[in-house]
Parts: sequence; structure tokens; C-alpha cells
Amino acid sequence: MKNKHMHIVAGEIVRLSLLKRGEQGKVISLQNDNKALRRRLLDMGITKGVKIEIKKIAPLGDPIDVKLRGYELCLRKADMAEIMVEKL
Amino acid sequence: MIVALVGNQNSGKTTLFNALTGANQKVGNWPGVTIERKEGHVKGTDITVVDLPGIYSLSPYSNEEKISRNFVLEHHPDLIINIVDATSLERSLYLTTQLLETGVNMIVALNMFDLVKKRNIHIDKDKLEKALNTTIVDISAKTGEGIDHLLEHVKKYDVKENKLLNIYPSDVHDVLVSVRKDLAKADIENDYFYAVKTFEGEEDYAKHISSSTKEKMLQVQKKYDMDGEELIASLRYDFIDELKKESFTNEEIEIREKQANKKLSWTDKLDKIFLNKWAAIPIFIVIMALVYILSVGLVGGLTVSFVDALFNGSEEIEFNFFGLVWTAPFEIAGIGPGLGGWLESIGASPWAVSLVADGIVAGVGAVCNFVPQLIILFICLSLLETTGYMSRISFLLDRIFHKFGLSGKSLVPFVVGVGCSVPGIMASRTIEDENERKATTILTPFMPCSAKLPIISAFAGFFFGTFAWLVSLSFYFMAIIVILLFGIVMKKFIFKGSHTTYISELPEYKTPSFTYVFRDVVDRTGAFLKRAGTIILLCSVAVWFLGSFTWEFKYVDGTDILINDSLLANVGMTFAWIFAPMLGGNMSWGAAVAALTGLVAKEEVIGSMTTIAALAGENVELFSEADVIFNFFNPITAFAFMSFNLFSAPCFGALGAMKNELGSTKSMLKSALFLTGFAWLVASIIGSISWIITAAGGTL
Ligand SMILES: Nc1nc2c(ncn2[C@@H]2O[C@H](COP(=O)(O)OP(=O)(O)OP(=O)(O)O)[C@@H](O)[C@H]2O)c(=O)[nH]1
Ligand SMILES: [Mg+2]
Repeated sequence: MKNKHMHIVAGEIVRLSLLKRGEQGKVISLQNDNKALRRRLLDMGITKGVKIEIKKIAPLGDPIDVKLRGYELCLRKADMAEIMVEKL
Repeated sequence: MIVALVGNQNSGKTTLFNALTGANQKVGNWPGVTIERKEGHVKGTDITVVDLPGIYSLSPYSNEEKISRNFVLEHHPDLIINIVDATSLERSLYLTTQLLETGVNMIVALNMFDLVKKRNIHIDKDKLEKALNTTIVDISAKTGEGIDHLLEHVKKYDVKENKLLNIYPSDVHDVLVSVRKDLAKADIENDYFYAVKTFEGEEDYAKHISSSTKEKMLQVQKKYDMDGEELIASLRYDFIDELKKESFTNEEIEIREKQANKKLSWTDKLDKIFLNKWAAIPIFIVIMALVYILSVGLVGGLTVSFVDALFNGSEEIEFNFFGLVWTAPFEIAGIGPGLGGWLESIGASPWAVSLVADGIVAGVGAVCNFVPQLIILFICLSLLETTGYMSRISFLLDRIFHKFGLSGKSLVPFVVGVGCSVPGIMASRTIEDENERKATTILTPFMPCSAKLPIISAFAGFFFGTFAWLVSLSFYFMAIIVILLFGIVMKKFIFKGSHTTYISELPEYKTPSFTYVFRDVVDRTGAFLKRAGTIILLCSVAVWFLGSFTWEFKYVDGTDILINDSLLANVGMTFAWIFAPMLGGNMSWGAAVAALTGLVAKEEVIGSMTTIAALAGENVELFSEADVIFNFFNPITAFAFMSFNLFSAPCFGALGAMKNELGSTKSMLKSALFLTGFAWLVASIIGSISWIITAAGGTL
């Protein structure tokens, strides 16, 4: 398991929640087992191959505002942990 | 002709609706403002426009999104105007591709075109039009640009025959065609739309699908290594990606621009401050404090005496600037004494004079004293709602509220509830999770609404003077603490944990439109005044009547028959014991009556008290030595009584809204009982302190 203080190198496959502000990842898979949530994430454009950038982090560390497909979306860390990305 | 406005949340549907129909429906800069279907007419035409809650896809999650989906699929509008936020085309077109599959006639309105121009976003409308096979009009709902043009298209019914888009590769397409054939055999309308839905795994129509088709579905999904849902979503977005390359902002330009001016957008700059790790929460507290400092502190102190003079007459008035008091001579007879004097002069009986002066003018006037403060409160709220800060509050506090069984989205109902609980309670609809939603509905009335402001302001103004605004603010934060406590209790014992999520957006900051804020404030103030002129007036007359006559229907003249013998005193006395603990042991029928009338409308607490005080003695200031009914109040019992009125069952209007949202009268009554019980407990504990102090020989 990756520790959040470790440096993640490009090309590594990690949970989206581990990326830091300004970093980008390319979605590899959605592992959310909550059906409604998974559907919503797909509808919001989190499909395989899409690039996601960490934009803003709430002062208390959660939720997180990410940028994808030219717009921004806020998600909770717990849900982001189930999105696997390849760090860019 | 019925025209439905369909589009993503916060894309400007209601702004367009208002522009088309001249209505004044609520517009706000956060996702999920509209929660109900609203209809309106375009003047001089037979066009009915329907405004709907925003959706991101035709697979809805929350109740208000279902309203939109059902309207499109089942009500068969003659035309859909798909409002698209042109500054986030990629995401918006996802819904567009779904809408086109429903076969409903459609025009796409590219909204926010003012921003598109300002930011040099490139959109090739003709290419887009061709690729989507539909009519596209660019508009700016806010400035009104292009709306006439859009209306022309609507009037001409300028729609293109919906040809199916070329979204799916041939292998997927072939399977969809088979599914569609099976559905067509079963006489299902909208067969193409439902074919896609069935492919995605929606169960409703699965029974009509032959086993060979099912087999084909599985095969193609296996080939792409995705389930139906993911495959369709991916293909749609792939299609949009292709479209983007041809017809709108080209990534290359975007990157080059970014490098050329490493400038942050306005929104990002402001968020560096408002969402700053250390400053964000202090800033939030200051902003909320400002609402009360400005309304109760500044404007309240400066105007209360003046407005009171208009109703009740004066020789001089007082301006209080945070404790700096100065007076100005201001001789005015006042509406009450003026009317009273005139009635006397034409020989009206004493009870008629009293009805007008003590009943109507005193009661209604007591409530109207607070209009200037309310106007400021409404302006502040309108600014919070239109600038985009609302979503930041929710983003900021989600972490805390989530821990306590609520959601960051609960903050929207709470802040809206500061204006009025009814829209606040209704706004809880946008919370996806049922438990979080119900908890929010039940807890929203704890927020001190604008009708409670007169209670706070009147008590705090007398007992806490310069610090009145601080007391108001303390109720605000007390409400939040109480809400959090109950959130966690409900999470532990009633609504046991399920996995909840928070998916939202931080809209761009927008400069509020002056006209909109103005109309909004006029609307809300108008509603308050209307209540003063109807419910409050009726209530004050009822209180006057009961306070002016005895069981034997003798008029209470103040010399032979005293107000303590009146019907009102008798009724109040039967309830007074309930309130004795919070009033430091005082059995006060007046306070009991006031609290009960607060159920009708919270501001009537002050209306009733003023009427009762006016009946009991001429020209007395509420709570002053001369006020024989209410002079027993001291700062502690005042605080206790305020707490009771603020936290107990809300007015009937809010109870009605709670019933709607909770789905049954029983749950509503339970919640009301719970709120009242809690309020009583807290108030009684506070009030007992006063009791103990006086019992120990202290004075307050
Ligand atoms: N700059 C600009 N802002 C706009 C335009 N149209 C709407 N807005 C703003 O966008 C925000 C959202 O507008 P609404 O009309 O409430 O959006 P809606 O689609 O009804 O939103 P929901 O009811 O939440 O689904 C408001 O702040 C509007 O002032 C436009 O053409 N240009
Ligand atoms: Mg709306």
C-alpha cells in the first residue's frame, strides 16, 4: 500500500486520492462498488483514459476539486480512492 | 405548445425561463437551485415554457432529477430547449446525446455566450450543428442576447428531423438494433432510447429481450471489456471528444494560451483566498457574522426607533451606532395614536379606538419595526446565493458535516433557511442520500429564519443593547452546534450508516446582477409585509379581542375589569406552567400566549407581546418597568425564552413543507414534537439559572 507521503513517479498506477495538488492522472479503472455512485461518475465523464487533474483541496483536506473534460468536479477522498489512475 | 427547458444544473435554465416568461423564479449560482417543475407563458404566444431541475444524464439519482427525466420521457413536450453551458461544452453535450436519442424534437441553446466571447473560446457552431443534427442557437440568458432569435426558432418550430447520431461503432450499433427490434415487437415507444438503456443494464424492459439478443449484448461487452453502462458512457464521451477536435476549443490552443499567460482565472484567484487552508474558516465566520452585524447591529440600531415612531408616535428618536447613541428630535403623532385620536374625535367607542391602536397598529407595527433589518438580511443572503460563495460553504464544511451524519450539501438548506425555513426545507431535496436528506429536513428549522429575527432583535435590543448583533450571531452558531449534535445522534440511533457521497461543483464566481438582487429582495420583503398585513393582522386582532373581553363578554376597561380577567389571560394561564421553568419560575400568561401564537408565524411572538402590553397600559415600552405584563424578564430568562421560540416547532408553513419532504404527517408531527421538546429542555435549563440566582437572594 502506498503511503501518502511517498513520491509517486510518472507511470505508476495509484488511487486518485493519492495524487497531490497540481498532479494529473489518467483513469485506468473505476472500482466503486456502489452502483449509483459508479453510474454518476461515468455520467460526469470519469471514463477510462480521461485525464484528471487535482485542482483544489478543501481546507480540512476533504473533499477535493478535480478538473476533467474542461470542467471541475468535487469528490470525496473515499470515493476517489476507488478510481485507479496512471500518474502522468 | 409546450416547451421544456432541459439542461445541466447551473446552466441558466431558470434565467432563460425568467427572461422568456417575465417570471421571477429563483436563480442562484450553485447547482440544484430549481427543485420543482414550474410553468409560465410567453406573452403574446401560445407557448408554455416549463422550467425543470437540472440533470446531468437521463439516469437520475435524486427525486428532483426524476422530475426532469419523467417530464421528458412521459409528458411528451412538443419541444425541448436543451440549455447548454457553452463554457463546459464537453460535459454538457453528454446529456445532449442522450436527449437526441429520445426522439423528442429539440433545439440546443448554447448559453453563457457572453463568457465564450470574453474568453475567446472557439466554437464552430455550423460544424456542431451538422454533427449533432439539430438546430443550435447561441444565447446569453443573463444579458438577454440572442433570446429573440431563439424565440423565433421556437415559433417557426425550426427543428430538424432527429437522425440518430453516429455514436456507436458498428458492432455495438448492430446489437442495439437487435435490442430495439425486440422492444419494438413489444410495442414499447421510444424504443431506441430504451434499447440503449436496456443495453446499459436497466431492468425495466429486459424481459422483452430475446435470449439470442442477450447473448449478443454480453459478447460485445466482453469484447470491449466493459459492462454496458461503462461502455455506453465511454462511447458517448469518445464521440464528444471527436466532435471537440473538429468544432470546438482545440486543446493545442488551450495549452499555448496557458503557457503564454500563466494567469489564474478570477475564480481560481478568489478561491486561493476563500478556500485557503488557514483563512477559509475564519473568513466564513466573518462573512456570516457580517450578515448579523450589518442587519441587527448597524441597521437595526439605526432604524428601530424611527420605524416605531412612525407607528406609535414619538417626540424624539434614537440612533444607536454600536453603542454610540445619539438622539434627534422627531415629533410625530404616529399612525396608531393618530388614528386613535381621529376615531375618538368622531365619537367612536373606546373599544374601537383600542382595537385600532392597541390591536392592529401596535401588533402589525411591532413586526414592521424590523423591516429595515430584514432588507439588509435579504440583501446579504441574495449575495451569498448569487456570487457562488454558497457552494464554497458546502465544500468547506463537508468534512465536518459528513462526520456528523449530514452532508456538505446540507449547508445549502441551512443558509437558505436563514431567510425562510420553507424554501430551506425544500432545498434539502438535492441531497442524494435519504438519511442525510431527512436529517437535514428535520434540522433546517433550527436555523434562525428571518421571521425569528424580530424576536431576537426585540429581546436582545432591550436586554443586551449594543451586543444585540452578537446575541443574534450566537443563536446562529448555537443552531449549528445543535444541528451537528443531533446529526450525530440521528446517525448513531435512527438513520444507521450507509455509504454516502458528495458530488458537486464549485461554480465560477459571478458578479451578482443588480436587478436580480433587487427583485429578490423586493420579493422577500413583500412577502414579509404581506404576512404582516394578513396573518399578523388577523392574529393581532384575535389577541386584542381575547384580551379585551372576559368570559362574560364584558369589556376590559382597565379600571373595573383588568386584563388579568380577560379570556386571553385565562387561556394563557392554563399553559403558563409549561413556560414557568424557562421564565425563572414566573407564571406568565402573556408569554404563554405569545409562544403559542408563534406557531402561526414566528414574528407574531413579538406582535402578540406588543398588543398585550398595549392593552395592559398606555404607551409602555415592551419589557420596561411600566410594562406590568412583561417586566419580569431579565437577561437570562430573555435568553431562555428566545431559545425556546427559536428552536421549538417552526410555524405552520414550515411544518407543511416538512410534511411534504418527509412524506407523512406522522413523521412531521414526530419531528415537530422532537424540536419542541428539545427547545423546552434547553430553555428550561437556561431559565432555571435565573431561578436559582433569585432563590439564592441574587438580583438580575
Ligand atoms: N455570464 C452569464 N451567466 C449566466 C447566464 N445565464 C445564467 N447565468 C448565471 O448562471 C447561474 C445559474 O443560473 P440559473 O438560471 O439559476 O441556472 P439553472 O440552470 O436554473 O440551475 P439549477 O436550477 O440549479 O439547475 C446564475 O448565477 C446566473 O446568473 C449567461 O448567459 N451568462
Ligand atoms: Mg433553475
